[in-house]
Amino acid sequence: MSSALRREQNRTIGTLLIPALAVIIIFTTVPALTTLSYAFFSWDGFQRNTFAGFENFQKLFAYPYLDQLVAALRHNTIAFVVIMTFQTSLGLLFAYAMFRVKRGLRFYRVVVFLPVIFSLVVVGYLWQSLLDPYYGPINQIITGLGVPDLAKPWLGDTSTALPTLMFINLWRWVGFPAIVFLAGLNAINSEYIEAARIDGASEGQIFRKIIFPLLAPSLTIITVLTFIGAYEWFDLPFVIGGSNGSPAGATDTLALMFYRLSFGSIDSGANNVGVGSALGVLIFTLVGLGAAFGSALLRRREVEQ
Amino acid sequence: MIKLLASRTFFQSVLIINSLIVLLPVLFLFNSSLRESNEFARTPFALARDPFWENYQRVWSEGEFGSYFINSLVITGGSLILILILALGAGFVLGRYTFKGNNIIFAFILTGMLVPAKLAILPLFIQLKWMNLLDSRLGLILVYTSAALPAAIFIMSGFFKSLPTDLDNAARIDGASEFKLLSKVLVPLVRPGMAIVAIYSAIPIWNDFFLPLVFLQSPEKKTLMQGLTVFFGQYASQWGVLFAGLCLAALPLVVLYLILSEQFIKGLTAGAVKG
Amino acid sequence: MKISKIRGLVAALFAAVTVVAPGASIASANTEITFWSWRTEDKAFYESQIKLFEAKNPGITVKFTPYLNTEYNAIVATALTAGKGPDVIQMRPYGGMANLSDAGNFMPLTTAEVPALKKLPAGILAGAQGYKDKKQYGLPYAVSALGVMYNPDILEKAGVRALPQTWAQLQTAFNKVKKAGFLPLGNAGGNGPALEQLHATVGPTFYGGTAFFNDVVAGKKTFTDKGYVASLKAVADLAKWMPANYQGIDYNTARGLFANEKAAFYIGGNYEIGYFRSLNPSITIGWFPAPKANAGAKRYVGTWADGAYAINAKTTQKAAALKLINFLGTKEFGQALVDEIAFIPTAPYVKINDPAVKEINRWRTTLGTPFLNVVGFRFENPTSSSILQPGFQKLIVGGTTPEQLAKDVQTAVASWYAPQKGKS
Repeated sequence: MSSALRREQNRTIGTLLIPALAVIIIFTTVPALTTLSYAFFSWDGFQRNTFAGFENFQKLFAYPYLDQLVAALRHNTIAFVVIMTFQTSLGLLFAYAMFRVKRGLRFYRVVVFLPVIFSLVVVGYLWQSLLDPYYGPINQIITGLGVPDLAKPWLGDTSTALPTLMFINLWRWVGFPAIVFLAGLNAINSEYIEAARIDGASEGQIFRKIIFPLLAPSLTIITVLTFIGAYEWFDLPFVIGGSNGSPAGATDTLALMFYRLSFGSIDSGANNVGVGSALGVLIFTLVGLGAAFGSALLRRREVEQ
Repeated sequence: MIKLLASRTFFQSVLIINSLIVLLPVLFLFNSSLRESNEFARTPFALARDPFWENYQRVWSEGEFGSYFINSLVITGGSLILILILALGAGFVLGRYTFKGNNIIFAFILTGMLVPAKLAILPLFIQLKWMNLLDSRLGLILVYTSAALPAAIFIMSGFFKSLPTDLDNAARIDGASEFKLLSKVLVPLVRPGMAIVAIYSAIPIWNDFFLPLVFLQSPEKKTLMQGLTVFFGQYASQWGVLFAGLCLAALPLVVLYLILSEQFIKGLTAGAVKG
Repeated sequence: MKISKIRGLVAALFAAVTVVAPGASIASANTEITFWSWRTEDKAFYESQIKLFEAKNPGITVKFTPYLNTEYNAIVATALTAGKGPDVIQMRPYGGMANLSDAGNFMPLTTAEVPALKKLPAGILAGAQGYKDKKQYGLPYAVSALGVMYNPDILEKAGVRALPQTWAQLQTAFNKVKKAGFLPLGNAGGNGPALEQLHATVGPTFYGGTAFFNDVVAGKKTFTDKGYVASLKAVADLAKWMPANYQGIDYNTARGLFANEKAAFYIGGNYEIGYFRSLNPSITIGWFPAPKANAGAKRYVGTWADGAYAINAKTTQKAAALKLINFLGTKEFGQALVDEIAFIPTAPYVKINDPAVKEINRWRTTLGTPFLNVVGFRFENPTSSSILQPGFQKLIVGGTTPEQLAKDVQTAVASWYAPQKGKS
């Protein structure tokens, strides 16, 4: 191309690209790198103190933080496995159902996706009220159905709190994989399916041999996003269980612990920014590695198809 | 043939059950918002035969929802404008220019999607303080914009890339500057992409309660979701009022969604669906 | 014009401006100060008091903002660090805001500027002092006391004729109430701090009150002491009297059960009385100190200086803020505190007419013992509260034992509290 055009293009890159890059660097990249650096200093409240090497990491893996860390990590992992299994499968089920059904499709699409636009504050409070052991309708219905033993304090019992939270999460999010899968389904060339039907294949066979393999890209995206979401789980547990993961830490997550360490909690208000940042580094690494690794693995599966 | 029908019935039932599970809690929420609080405590299930609109009145006046709503509007709207402007420019350059470093810069921007603002909250806090942008809506707008840009640029560059290159050449031959090419010729053609970016970015910003909690101190600057958490502390046990608050907070997006459901769905899953 | 005349004119103008200007600014200035608190329950009360203050101090307006209790510390900490904190701050007692006072966020108060401080005893003043330096950072405004609140109407219906004096008598009373179809206890397990307060009420008689407190503070006894373990067990034993599904019943619902006259007893602090009455203005509330463990034990009323008013070290409205603090230290404000929200004010010479509060005040002066966790062990992490609050939630459902919980508390405190270091 002409050098004049080349020069003008370079100028344009300057005026059009640099601002966006600048904003990202100033408000995302630099803070992210700074968090990493914070982990290597000791802190006095919000004032940075002296260089502390790996001390914060050592503290993170010692009393009293180690137990909290292990519990939180366990909860995040359970969340990932359960959400991946149920939320994704249900999403696929709903997507396929919408794919097959003709009547009411538009209505179902709107309804399936509706909870995804609610704020988590709204979802959290709504379900807290529904599940209130005294006034909540859910327990009243259960009692009315004749099984009062099942009318448990779902969010208050340490053994049911986390599963209940995951259920609420599912209620709120299942529409997302559903719609992504639906788009994936609609993108499949209908000729393949028609040809298979003419050949006498059952719907089940069509699904297994044609549809599912071609949904691989959608599955990749959903898996990676679910992984990131599960290990950065914060909003819903915070709204419902508070920053301490009530009851008795049963709903504690890595992100909640990070918040506690950064800002303090109710009974003492004391925070530990150094250890919090060390935890931040840990979460970054976990999520980054997991996302990269998982997406590479799943990508390979896509290509093979 | 029978098998086919049976399957369809099965799938219809699945969708009907899901619709019930989604809609019943929402309807319960709305119904309860119209009941007087003590009455609700006694009979949570009764239908609101005599709608108690006072709950909403109280939420609006005592709960200061009017000012929260405007703040949310200002912050979300401001962020959207900034995001669109920046993403259009960056998307154009990255999508249509070939130059050394294009791929690297693109990849760098994408990694921005891996960093949630929450984990960098403390440096952001200290940084904004140093820049004198704490307790400021502008500060919040800048942080939200930065968080939304990677995905926005990704989407916009995809749209720009898909446009035929002859357009560029034709415009240049006509003597148009690069900027005019972008603004007069290409932007009108990527409007669907802009709509998608707008929806994809606006909803998490509107729904966010965490960043305002940390970055906004003055009560008059509070956003809707943040105000809701404060509201809940003050009106605990006054069920009717609480539910009315929830409904009012959820209403704007729900209304928008019902009108524009197609675009919403496309917009929110845009980052996930390729092309 | 002659130069001397011009000079004279300039001088006159200058004089006029310097004289008029400050006057002008006083006349037109409206100082606004901000005042934050964690008591969303008391919003109406503070706003009415502020109106009185503003009437007495024209030119000063006060903007009162209460925040959700659980997030108050985080919100105040970030605001102060951002330099955007309020002028007057409701301050958590003892260690509750130790890290903030250590960081120099609060202005030290002198008796010259805040005369009300002179009238307060040392034990109360300690509730608003810095942890590392012992400066006075706040004006404590109330003393809280723990006890057993009851509904006399329900007790009468259940045939409970005498107020329980021993633990065994308490169980009998619970039983009678249950048989009469009422809930014995409104307290539930959904809220850790509420359980901690429950323990602080019924526990001292088991662990030995002030003597034990002094021993633990000095390092002579540990939390694994038999008496302390017994006090933890007492909380576990109360679980059977709590409402069904108590694990999931949150703080507000639990208080509502008592306020709406479904439960006969509620064990906790006097600060709940104002809330009960706001939910149900027609309720009558009685109070008695926690019963003794057995015939030979002593009765105690857990008590502590609960909250203070502090001034932001970086405030630009020091004079106005001091005026507000001094208003909050007056006898009239103290009177309003007790009359309207049933708090026990620190201000002296306040006349207590409320029969329940009278009772409380009478007993706390003779049976008072410090609220162990709040007064002694909130200064560094992990605080005893941070172990006990979730610990109690586990304890009442059998997820841990009193012995184990006691051990956990000891490990926590020993990790930072010098006199306890190395002890288990």
